[in-house]
Amino acid sequence: MKNRLRTLRAERNWSQADLAEKLEVSRQTVNAIETEKYDPSLHLAFKTSLLFSKLIEEIFEFSEGETPSS
Amino acid sequence: METTKHEKKMNLGFLAATVSFILFYFAARAALESQGLATSIRVAVALFPVPFYIWFMVAFVRNVRGLDELERKIQLEALALAFPLAMLLIFTLGLMELAVDLPKEDWSYRHIWAMMPVLYFGGIAFARKKYQ
Repeated sequence: MKNRLRTLRAERNWSQADLAEKLEVSRQTVNAIETEKYDPSLHLAFKTSLLFSKLIEEIFEFSEGETPSS
Repeated sequence: METTKHEKKMNLGFLAATVSFILFYFAARAALESQGLATSIRVAVALFPVPFYIWFMVAFVRNVRGLDELERKIQLEALALAFPLAMLLIFTLGLMELAVDLPKEDWSYRHIWAMMPVLYFGGIAFARKKYQ
């Protein structure tokens, strides 16, 4: 699933480790989401949207017919 | 994800359970391989590592529950790979036992079970690579 996580993180000058700490996940998880190798759970997607004060669909882009990344 | 005090305690518990099981397993095996123990004692010695293994299992499940969602997915994929491979190994060994005379010293279950952690760690490495 395409997402704007890397851009949003860069805008705030956060490292992957910083974001991982704020989301209470590992840095590997942040990296896997950014590289579109892993789709986050609904819980983590909501947490991300709250952290960036954006709607989920402003961060994650779902296109019809898309298969899960993992 | 910063390691909290609780997580450190959990990791230490998991390590202690793993080390205890391995130590008591090999101690029991060494005792059983030496002669001169009465049958009742031998049975007791053979069962001695079981509570330590149960401790290990509980610690393992707790450890998995403490992981983040991607790491839990990796664990699931690793087990999904390791479990059928372990079945393949055991049923093939069972059939080979019927087919030919396998030397017990090399092919007994006490040697084969040790392959299972290898399959599990192989599964972990394989699944982890997918998300890197």
